[in-house]
Order: sequence, then C-alpha cells, then structure tokens
Amino acid sequence: MSVQTDTLPAGFEDLVPLLAHWARQTENLRSDIRWKASAEDFKALYEAVLPRLPDILGALEACPLEGMSAAEENLFNLAAAFAEAAPHHELYGGSADVPFSFAAHRFRPGHGDLPSNARILR
Amino acid sequence: MNDLAGAALRPGAEAFTHLGRSIEDIRSELGVGAVSIDTIRDPAVYELEREKVFRKTWLKVATEWEIPEKGDYKVKEMPVVDTSLLIVRGKDGKVRAFHNVCTHRGNKVVPTQDFETFGKARANVLSCRFHGWVFNTDGPLRAVPLEGGFGSLDKACLGLKEVACDIWEGFIFVNFADRPEQTLAEYLGDFGKLFGGFPYSEATTAFRYSTVLDCNWKVALYAFSEGYHVPTIHAGSLPGFTGIEHADFKLVGPHASSTIYGGGMEAAASTAQFASVLHADAEHGPRPELVPPGINPRGRSDFQFELPNIFPNFLIHLAAGCGYPGMAYFTHQFWPLDHGRTLWEGINYFRPARNAAERVAQIHVNALHRNAWLEDTGTMEDTFVGIRSGAIDAMHLMDQEFMIRHAASTLDRYLTKGEEQ
Ligand code: FES
Ligand SMILES: [Fe+2]
Repeated sequence: MSVQTDTLPAGFEDLVPLLAHWARQTENLRSDIRWKASAEDFKALYEAVLPRLPDILGALEACPLEGMSAAEENLFNLAAAFAEAAPHHELYGGSADVPFSFAAHRFRPGHGDLPSNARILR
Repeated sequence: MNDLAGAALRPGAEAFTHLGRSIEDIRSELGVGAVSIDTIRDPAVYELEREKVFRKTWLKVATEWEIPEKGDYKVKEMPVVDTSLLIVRGKDGKVRAFHNVCTHRGNKVVPTQDFETFGKARANVLSCRFHGWVFNTDGPLRAVPLEGGFGSLDKACLGLKEVACDIWEGFIFVNFADRPEQTLAEYLGDFGKLFGGFPYSEATTAFRYSTVLDCNWKVALYAFSEGYHVPTIHAGSLPGFTGIEHADFKLVGPHASSTIYGGGMEAAASTAQFASVLHADAEHGPRPELVPPGINPRGRSDFQFELPNIFPNFLIHLAAGCGYPGMAYFTHQFWPLDHGRTLWEGINYFRPARNAAERVAQIHVNALHRNAWLEDTGTMEDTFVGIRSGAIDAMHLMDQEFMIRHAASTLDRYLTKGEEQ
C-alpha cells in the first residue's frame, strides 16, 4: 500500500497538513486513529474540514470509486476520516468513545480491511 | 403527528389490515402482566431452544447477493445446531445448503477462519484437504483418490449432506429438520407478503458488523425489538430524533412488526451536508413508494422505518431512504454460541454509490448508525448479569415492547410443542 500522503487536488492544498495524521484507506486503520484522538485533534480536523465540505463533496462527485488519482484518493480518505470523526466533535463532546456505549474495538467490521473506495462492499 | 389519519389506504394495503392491532388489541391478546425471565436465565431452556426452535424453524443464513456467481459459496459456523453450514451456488445457478462435512471422515470440506467464510469453488468442485475427496457444488461425490483401496464404496450415497434451503426476496433460509413441517413460504406466511416486493437485492453495498456478546441471545434480540429505548439510550447519537412515534403494531403468526414514525433527525452540521448528497438523489433519496403497501398504509410523510421481528432471530428494518439518509434497510441477527454467549450481526444496506461523494456520505451515515448500535449493545451484557443475579424474576413490558412479549409467547409455544397431549 503505497499511499502518497502529501498531495491533494488543486484548490485543497490547505488541507495537506491533515493527511499524515488522518487519511487512511480502510475503516480499521481510521478507527485505530480515531480511538486515540483527543478533543483537540477532533476540533482541529472539524474546523479545518467542515467549511470545505461542500467543495470536497463537489470534487468527489466527479470521481468514480475506481481509478482515482493519488491526490483524489487522498481527498477521499480524508473525507472518510472526517465523515467518521465529525460526530465525536458535534455530538460526543470531543470524546474518542461514544459515551455510555459498548467498547467500539469489540465491533468487527466485515469490510474493515477493504479500501473504503472498493466498488463492492458486501 | 398523524397527518394522514383520515387518508385513504394505499392500493393493496387493505390485504393487510387484518394484521393490524390497536393498543387495546395488543393488551387483550398478549396481556399486560409481567413476563418471566426464566427462559433467558435457565441454561436448560437453551438446550430445548436448540432442539425445538433452531433445528425446526427457517433461519436466514445468507443473501443471494453474497454469492452472486456460479461456484460462489459462504460457510457459516452454527454452534447452535452443532454444524458448519456450506451455502453454495451450483453450476446450474441454484443455491443449495449442505453440512460442510466431508463424508469420508468428517473433516470440513471448506476450511474456515471465522464465523463466516466466503470463497469461490474452482471448476465447480470442492475438495477436502484431508484426503482429497472431491464434491460437485451441487452435492454429489465426484472423485475419491485411490478409490480401489476401499474394497467397496457406494459413491452415489456419499454426496454432501443437504440441508433444506429456500429463498425469499433474495434472503437465503435453511431448515435443519429432516422434513420441515412447513415450506419457507408457509413459515413466513403474511410476513413474506407484508415485506415482499421491496428491491432488497438492489441495495448491495453492505457495511457489516459483528461481535460476540456475553449474554443470552434473547437479551440481544429484545434490546433491538422496541422503540421505547430510543430517546434515552440514543440521547448521544440520535439527539435530534424528534417526535418519535412507535405505532402500527402488527401480529403476523410467529412474527410481528411495527412502524417508527417521526420528525426525522435534527441533523448536526456535517450530517446535513452528507445527507444532502443522498437525500437529493433519485436513487438514494427517500423512496416511500417502494415501501410495500401494508407498511405505512396511509402514506404518512413522517415514515422512518418498519421494525419487525422474524421468529426466531432475524430483523429487517425497512427504511427505503426515509429514515437514515440513503439507507435502504438494515438487518440484525442473533446467533447463540451457547446459553450465555451470542454472536450479533448487524448490516447496513445502501444502494451502490455511483461516485466517491456518495460513498463518503454513506460512510458518515453508516458511522452514525454503527455508533447507535454501540449504544444498544452497551446494555446487553449488563442486562444479562442482572437477569442471572436472581434479583428480579420478570420483565415489565409497556405497549412499545409488545414484540418482546409476542416473541416470548411464541417461544413458549415452540418449547411446549408436542407436550399438549
Ligand atoms: S475427511 Fe475428507 S477426504 Fe478424508
Ligand atoms: Fe437502538
């Protein structure tokens, strides 16, 4: 898995510093990062990405799931990390755990090791 | 709330009115008394359940879209019936189920790594790794190495041992009885019609989760069988779930169903943006017209999803994009591993994303729902400790918990079957 962690499509250069920490291809890899994140980590990601989300979603709308460039794939992986992390800032007070819940690491995602842009998730 | 209370029934809905129950009906048919928790607590009851329920009823074990091509197979470990089950699509395109047991000396024909194993039979044969016996994917024993060394061997009788298998709406069911008392269609009865006709097989993008819970399987099942818990246990993940109404109670033989209506979610800022990707789309957006007519019969605009209980251990929550953005439906299953251990499987189904933005939006909705499931599962092991403690002897159930009451009485009926005379 050779992921270039330093490129994003033109216009998204300001988000490049977030890639190294957050952008990962699979749900399992992103969960490992999220479970260790602090309230400050969530806040920084949230405040950087939320205002750009319309543009990000607009750019990704033009991308088929397969055949993305490395830069587009990085944008997708960052967006996926944001998609999963945003509730921790918006709903869970910055907690890495869902409050009053089951231990998240005990849930086993059947698709957890597949790239999240795999065309088929079944 | 009930904006269409006086509205006409949707075409076809009248065929299902006999399933509907008012709260008064529910109370008089099922009673209002406390329900004993002995069947959850007593390990001896679990042994009876294995024999009288799990070996007798139709159990959903796979979907057609999990094994779409000839030779595709799924193996499911099923400790509740002491077997490993092979579900395979033969070269004729037909799906069959077999014990995953080699007829030579009993080894697994397909080795397994987990509770579920997927693969593809090359050249439409499966061969046992122990001594190399080869089986066709439709069952017959095809080849035996050093066959002459057996003296006499009636290969015709040594095919894989078949298990009764049938399909409803793409969901593959099996029945471990030698001669099932009912066909699958008979067993599902009106439920098959009530939920029939939705394009389940088109929502093939599945986010699936499982976990092993230290609780009896019914503790897990019951926790997912009512809407009473939503405002409390889901205060974290579904804070804006406004005006929730659990209504349209239905009794359907051994099965039951009910509807969640509500004002929908007052979404967080990120959710609103992700939802707009899906809600605005003709494919992923709300498709209330696809919901079969016996469900939401008056076409209420605040329909969220239908919440059934398919005896003994299967739930299909049918939403058609009306509840969680873009989600077609989600399913739960509860597989006993032993009396006090349960494999829970939850799957969120979406229509396939056509671009990367749709997939990211699905990832967000899936994450929110997975988090709600974490809140649900968080109660189960504690509940089972409480039940085993001896501190209480019964559950006190309110109207919205009628499916628990119904499932418990259906279970009692199955457990005492054959003891009437
Ligand atoms: S046990 Fe399968 S070939 Fe011997
Ligand atoms: Fe719940």
